[in-house]
Amino acid sequence: MEYFALLLGSGLVIGATYGLVGMGFAIIYKATGVVNFAQGELLMLTAYIAFSLTQGLSLSFFPLLLVTLPIAMVLGVLLERIFIRPMLGEPAFSIVMVTVGLSVILRGLTIMIWGPDPHEFPIGLSSAVVHLGPVPFYPVQLYALGSLAVATGGAWAFFRFTRLGIAMRAVAANEAAALLMGIRVDRIHMLAWSFSAAIAALAGVLFAAMFKLGPTIWFEGLRSFPAVILGGLDSVLGAALGGLVVGVVENMAQGYLGQGLREIAGFVVIVLILMVRPYGLFGDRQIERV
Amino acid sequence: MRGSLKSALLALGVLSAGATTAWAEPGVTDTEIRIGDVNIMTGPASFIGQAVSVGSKVAAAEINAAGGINGRKLVILTEDDGYVPARSFQALKKLIEVDDIFALNGTSGTANVLAMMPLITKANLPTVVTTAPNELVYNPVRPSVFTIGASYETAFFAQLKYIHEHNEPKNPVYGLIRQDDDFGVAVEAGYSRAIKELGLKDGIRLKYKKGQTDFGAELLQMRQAGVNVLANGAIIASAANVLSEARKLGLELQVADVWSEIMPPSAKLLAPAGYSFFVGDYIASMTDPAALSFLERTKQYMSETDRQAVNRYSFITYAGLKVMAKAMAACGKELTRACTVENLRKIHGFETDGLTAPISFDNAKQLGGTEVKVYQVNLTDVSFKTLTAYTQY
Repeated sequence: MEYFALLLGSGLVIGATYGLVGMGFAIIYKATGVVNFAQGELLMLTAYIAFSLTQGLSLSFFPLLLVTLPIAMVLGVLLERIFIRPMLGEPAFSIVMVTVGLSVILRGLTIMIWGPDPHEFPIGLSSAVVHLGPVPFYPVQLYALGSLAVATGGAWAFFRFTRLGIAMRAVAANEAAALLMGIRVDRIHMLAWSFSAAIAALAGVLFAAMFKLGPTIWFEGLRSFPAVILGGLDSVLGAALGGLVVGVVENMAQGYLGQGLREIAGFVVIVLILMVRPYGLFGDRQIERV
Repeated sequence: MRGSLKSALLALGVLSAGATTAWAEPGVTDTEIRIGDVNIMTGPASFIGQAVSVGSKVAAAEINAAGGINGRKLVILTEDDGYVPARSFQALKKLIEVDDIFALNGTSGTANVLAMMPLITKANLPTVVTTAPNELVYNPVRPSVFTIGASYETAFFAQLKYIHEHNEPKNPVYGLIRQDDDFGVAVEAGYSRAIKELGLKDGIRLKYKKGQTDFGAELLQMRQAGVNVLANGAIIASAANVLSEARKLGLELQVADVWSEIMPPSAKLLAPAGYSFFVGDYIASMTDPAALSFLERTKQYMSETDRQAVNRYSFITYAGLKVMAKAMAACGKELTRACTVENLRKIHGFETDGLTAPISFDNAKQLGGTEVKVYQVNLTDVSFKTLTAYTQY
């Protein structure tokens, strides 16, 4: 039982990072219908920016977020204005390819600025091990779990109770109708990129603090993609839950069934769930009448 | 008259062409010898290529300052392959066909050397491989290829033997975690050899995909198996994450690591976990007296950027060019590739001032410098303590 609890604990931790990255994917997809393949690179770039801030200003976790998240949001806005806005009205495939190109640019840019060496990324949290029952955690891991909970709660409240959130849902449901109702669709798109970048920054800071900061950190974006598919590409909350499920399933598969299964376990679950629910656990069923 | 002039010119042309091929050798002029270097100058592994480049540059500068090779200066021409084998092939093709190199000293990673091998063999290019001492490089033996270094197998065996003989905990159970690739296979070979030859208890062997970051489940498996001696075949951030997870679980471990972890960026990542890990290496560590002496001796040839790029790969490539220079010098003024290869084959006990064990290529594999030192990290200042002399395992 202790072994199960330990596997569950470490699964939830990695699942929390999957979930946060997945939420970033889902926000952009929900608002714009585009899968942003540069999400991992956005995480990478913002994590490196945060790293520079900790080096220069010796900021601890919360002050670091207070500075990093607004920078990430501005970055998201800029990327949307420069790379995505000019593509409005173009086929979705072309826009997706722009995000693929953007991912390569951001990756190269990051290595060019910060170099290829990996770094320890202390964010002012204790490195003493904390025990919750039999399960040990580093404080940063508990912060990751807490951050996912806060981000999920915040996203739920935002989409349910705020004008902007409701406008975003309207754009996601029917962009043309939303436009006719006076919603500035272009602003909604910009906002989605901005929020997505902020969540990527949160995920990036936590991920780098837990697992080191290095030039391969962008790969976390791809690794988190199954979580988004599982939760439903257009479901922000589903992506968060999907992340936790994938993280736990991976760890259980590795812990109980053996080596190599970590890599495929998450995909097995996705295949099984998509066979039953093609739009993911929480994705919206899209019906096209012909 | 016109016909006979044409014939005379033609005859002169043929004669002069014949004369050129009779003594001129690619990459050699009266004043210089061009040495190629294909390396990882960009991308995440560029710290290797940049260090290699500094090693070649310093060796060439030192040789040139001492008068060159029989009056000819060494010129190093570096091409970036980004660690991509296809690009290594293209880079060497350019070095041979456009830059007209005489020999090759930097050769990137194992897959990259193998990609370049057809060009090396075809041109009978004298080549010293310093950063990929993999059996695939020296078996089968290619006549013009000479390799320096021990395999990962030997390095891991050396460390585990040291732990077994000097630092073994009570009720020792050994465990292995390694990458799911050729490199990981070599690490496991050393582990298997230690288990078999030293009669160790094999607790568990785990593989992971390159790039994995979270090792929570793997370390729990280690704990379940009672492992207290860990052969950590993960590298850089992954190696650090393995140890971080072990620390979280409170595992008391003796840890054997990969030699790349001796380099400051990696060592700094591993140190916070608090495990005083071992490495086995065929090259002096940065804090080894031989390395310190090298740095002092060669500082005049290095810029500040060069000094920051120096690591173990600089030392071995420096030694590689020095040994190549010795073979070239022995050819005298009539320098040819064939003569250089022949002289490389005669190299025996070439001293590198402790940067490696003395290098000998006069063996069937044309493989030298295979002796390994075992080091242990000092966690307070992330320096390395030398535990053994260079030893053949």
